[in-house]
Amino acid sequence: MTDINATTTGSASLGVAGAAEHPAVTAQGAALSVRHLVKQYDNASAPVLNDISFDVPAGQVFVILGPSGSGKSTLLRTIAGLEPIQGGEITMGGELLRQAQSAGKLRSASASDSTKVGMVFQSYDLFPNKTVLGNIMLAPVLVQKRDKASVQAEALRLLERVGLADRKDAWPHELSGGQRQRVAICRALIEHPQVMLFDEVTAALDPEMVREVLDVILELANSGQTMLIVTHEMAFARAVADHVVLLANGSIVEESDHPQEFFDHPHTERAQQFLATFTYDRGQRQS
Amino acid sequence: MDFGFMMHYAPYFVNAAYMTVFISFFGLVLSLVLGLICVAVQMANVPVARQIVRAYVELSRNTPLLVQLYFLYFGLPKLGVSWSAETCAIVGLAFLGGSYMTEALRGGFEAVPRVQLESARVLGFSPVQTFLHVTVPQALSTAIPAVVANVIFLVKESSVVSAIALADVMYVTKDLMGQTYDTYESLTLLVITYLVILLPISIVGTVLERRFDYARR
Repeated sequence: MTDINATTTGSASLGVAGAAEHPAVTAQGAALSVRHLVKQYDNASAPVLNDISFDVPAGQVFVILGPSGSGKSTLLRTIAGLEPIQGGEITMGGELLRQAQSAGKLRSASASDSTKVGMVFQSYDLFPNKTVLGNIMLAPVLVQKRDKASVQAEALRLLERVGLADRKDAWPHELSGGQRQRVAICRALIEHPQVMLFDEVTAALDPEMVREVLDVILELANSGQTMLIVTHEMAFARAVADHVVLLANGSIVEESDHPQEFFDHPHTERAQQFLATFTYDRGQRQS
Repeated sequence: MDFGFMMHYAPYFVNAAYMTVFISFFGLVLSLVLGLICVAVQMANVPVARQIVRAYVELSRNTPLLVQLYFLYFGLPKLGVSWSAETCAIVGLAFLGGSYMTEALRGGFEAVPRVQLESARVLGFSPVQTFLHVTVPQALSTAIPAVVANVIFLVKESSVVSAIALADVMYVTKDLMGQTYDTYESLTLLVITYLVILLPISIVGTVLERRFDYARR
């Protein structure tokens, strides 16, 4: 099963407050627990994710930052079951969710998966052949075999919550990017997933639409939804995060339970370097 | 042009048109079913079946329908299988049309974005549910123009069945020309009959294209 060395130190964190406790923390009380996760593509020389371990307690907003190619999206995709993993395991509520498979095969999705993770992608992924309501209602009716009338009532409540009740009969192509992402959030939420995954959901949006989507996620965070967020919106990350992780080259470089402190005074050089790319100094402009 | 002649013989064409429509309809339905099965095999990458589909598509596309019909009508009885001319015509059209539909549908299936399948997966859809509710509707929408073109092509191609003595519109026309030598009027009736059959299909095709064009912005 796990072909990686079990004696590795669990977390690749570099002596940051909170991170050192990792190996001692058990999966109990954690909504999601990732242990020694290794993800490597067949013909790649180095793993995309190299021995990643962390816990996400129920209700926590877990924000993952990092440069392009650091493995952030891949990390979410392994949790969502979209990528086979080559080592380690992922558990949810103490129950095994994913583990290394022989021959790198993914098992097919099943109805029980639907209540575990919900995911919203960067690219607009609403089903173009369904209306807004059709998109939201399809999975609970088809996969979870729930009663159509109650599903519809809940779908309308969710649309109300994200401010799109009047668009329930619209087709995806009639919506703006921000509206599509809000519908995609409803579509995931209606299955009552234990953990929500957001993979750069605002990266393809016009600046003015970013806000409407992030406000929905913020409201969701306040409602106690456990979630993992990959984002490049630093101001948003700072506002929403309970826990911040910086990924680089497939490893956790730094993490913190104090987002404000992380953003203002990162400990590692890599984090300082990364955060510096988001700030501009007027002094750089030659007068 | 002798309109009296045309009015007199028009009922023959109405009857023959029923034959053309009958053969074409069942040939087309089977073509589509065959095409869907072949595409499903290709998409699911079923080891041996995939190669068989490939061989079938090449054999079917690269041999004339007339030869395929002769094989079914004159060749199969030698093997102890005797089918009626109607059955041969329908099977022949399905054999030819199946490969054209396979190629048209494959284009549609390959155009379905990966993230659509991934969303369905995370929502907990089984592979079959994903195929039926996500892949097929979107693939068909993309494939409609090519499929409609094939439908029209196959209805026209059905004129070849006159070669195995089926009384379709082409057969009646040749018969009429032989009997009356009124070539011009006979062929005009034939053209009109094909237009009456095919123009509605063209129009329905355009409507379907508009209705199911999910990709438009």
